[in-house]
Amino acid sequence: MPKFRKETQVTSVTDTSSSILGKAAQATPAPLASRIRGISDRTMAWLFITPAIVLLLAINIFPLIWAVYLSFTNYRANRPNAPLENVGLSNYSRVLSDPNIWQAMQTTAHFVFWTIFLQTLIGFSLAYLIDRKFRGHAFWTTVILVPMMLSPAVVGNFWRFLYQPQIGLFNYIVSFLTGIPPSSFEMLGSVQLSPWAIIIVDTWMWTPYVMLICLAGLRSIPDYIYEAAEVDRASLWRQFWSITLPMALPFIMLAVLFRGIENFKMFDMVTLLTGGGPGSTTEVASITLKREAFESWRTGRASAFAIILFVAVFGLANIYVKALNKVKQR
Amino acid sequence: MAEVILKGISKSFGETRAVSNLDLIIADGECVVLLGPTGAGKTTTLRLIAGLERADSGRITIGGYDVAQEAPAGRDVAFVFQQYSLYPHLSVYENLAFPLRSPARRLGKDEIDRRVRDVARMVRIDHKLENRSTRLSGGEMQRVAIGRALVRRPSIFLMDEPLSSLDAKLRAELRLELKRIQKELGATLLYVTHDQIEAMTMADRIGILAEGRLVQIGTPRDIYSNPANTHVAARLGQPHINLIPVDVLPDGRAPAGTRTVGARTEHLEISLGGNANAQIDWVEHLGDQNHLHIRVGDCKLITLANPYLPVKPGDKIGLALKNPLYFGADGNRMY
Ligand SMILES: Nc1ncnc2c1ncn2[C@@H]1O[C@H](COP(=O)(O)OP(=O)(O)OP(=O)(O)O)[C@@H](O)[C@H]1O
Ligand SMILES: [Mg+2]
Repeated sequence: MPKFRKETQVTSVTDTSSSILGKAAQATPAPLASRIRGISDRTMAWLFITPAIVLLLAINIFPLIWAVYLSFTNYRANRPNAPLENVGLSNYSRVLSDPNIWQAMQTTAHFVFWTIFLQTLIGFSLAYLIDRKFRGHAFWTTVILVPMMLSPAVVGNFWRFLYQPQIGLFNYIVSFLTGIPPSSFEMLGSVQLSPWAIIIVDTWMWTPYVMLICLAGLRSIPDYIYEAAEVDRASLWRQFWSITLPMALPFIMLAVLFRGIENFKMFDMVTLLTGGGPGSTTEVASITLKREAFESWRTGRASAFAIILFVAVFGLANIYVKALNKVKQR
Repeated sequence: MAEVILKGISKSFGETRAVSNLDLIIADGECVVLLGPTGAGKTTTLRLIAGLERADSGRITIGGYDVAQEAPAGRDVAFVFQQYSLYPHLSVYENLAFPLRSPARRLGKDEIDRRVRDVARMVRIDHKLENRSTRLSGGEMQRVAIGRALVRRPSIFLMDEPLSSLDAKLRAELRLELKRIQKELGATLLYVTHDQIEAMTMADRIGILAEGRLVQIGTPRDIYSNPANTHVAARLGQPHINLIPVDVLPDGRAPAGTRTVGARTEHLEISLGGNANAQIDWVEHLGDQNHLHIRVGDCKLITLANPYLPVKPGDKIGLALKNPLYFGADGNRMY
């Protein structure tokens, strides 16, 4: 009814500016989609995201729910036809009371801590240096980014070679700098050194990534802030601590989050370099999990372990993101 | 506070000559206001004094010392930037305290607190001290920026359009306040503005910049009544000075070679009745006075008039010149 009224009004006042405005107002609200195909914008939106949602459900959500289900059973993937029994929480209690698993968790924590510490420290320092815009800084940025672009398989094999006690470049350089004979230590074969061997490789490979994020953070600080600080007689030291660091902190924290999640499930590099050995000194949680699932074929228990890991990472990440938001809002 | 001397300062950015061969002496305790159109080099001049830009040539001395080799920190200037430049991650309080926390100053906590609160009250921001500086309106940010300069006792204050984004009332208040503070501290102040009322009221001397050159410098009175050329004349006066060809309103007194006559309100005499040579086009009522838009031949003029002057659009009036300003073909003043 009101619509009809409006139309009559428009036709009655012809050739005035108000009628032109009226026509324009009528013409604009019709969205492109509905005019062409008779599909509403909402339907169109659903059409676009449905494939993504289906994929997400099929390869992420469904397996997750399936794993939750399996974690309460005695299912074994190598004996799919064996009778399935509900075992309640016993998988969980076994995982949580298994000293090997706790050992693996500790090893993982050690890795995560040291890789993040080193990558953040070195990554931020490199970003800080590169941000000074010296001559050729673009070239050096590219050079620094190279390790990150390599495939982990290449990096792993490459470093295995570097770590060779007799012919490896790493041992040679260490011996050159310290005088220790090169074949007197084995980075990958020794209980003390092998965790550090992996930390070194991961740091070598992923520091550029942290640097890139930190660089974005540093570049986001406008020059005029530094100019104001300079006029306010803040020393370089003070500018760093009271401007550079606080303003880049959200970016640093983001890099830490990404690397933390990534390294919590570190698998490829460890497998390639040490396979978890010697003994179980570098057996991180993801390797234990894989052994549980595909060597011992205790699928139910492996699922329980996976769920525990998932909840732990998810919980930690959530707390961390809360902190990150707080820092950003400060 | 100190005397600041600029001698033969030039600065180019690529092809652009932002400042060229500028000579300027700002006496100890003096307030000099720079006026000029956009791109005239006002900001660049301030940045050169602060040491944020290096001059291509020339000498800058602050308090008798050549500061060519000094970094901004060593020059001890306070700068209110055109674009505020607050520290976004700090509160208003911390922004104001930032310059005072410099280790070189060695101020006690109580002293800092006292000065921050004093200044916050001065610039009317004391109710927002705990706010984060990004959560302020443009005018509030500008007041914090002014406050951050005022907490210090530098050798010179450099202010780049510090009141530009405030509303008219607050601007008038802070203008007075700034002038009072400047007088009280005996502060040396170099102040950039587009607002001629600010320039007229705050300045001990006004410098007119155009295309990087200092065209004229003098007391506000001097600049207003004795402009050196049409450019300077056009910068001051409300409504703008009428620049009309010399033959439109002949008064028989123009020196030989005069091309343009500059006539402000006080140079125009309106007579009703008698022989009419002009016509009223339009009358703008401003309340306490009226703007008359007058046409003489093909030439349009604007002048102020008493609101009780009985004229309306279409009326014929007599218009005569009374001691106007005469300018030659090059735009320079003729005497
Ligand atoms: N960093 C820079 N790089 C290149 N050109 C610049 C730079 N800074 C200023 N300029 C140029 O120098 C000239 C003077 O600029 P300046 O900022 O001093 O003008 P201004 O008088 O402050 O103008 P406004 O009233 O618009 O602030 C302009 O032509 C500008 O384009
Ligand atoms: Mg400017």
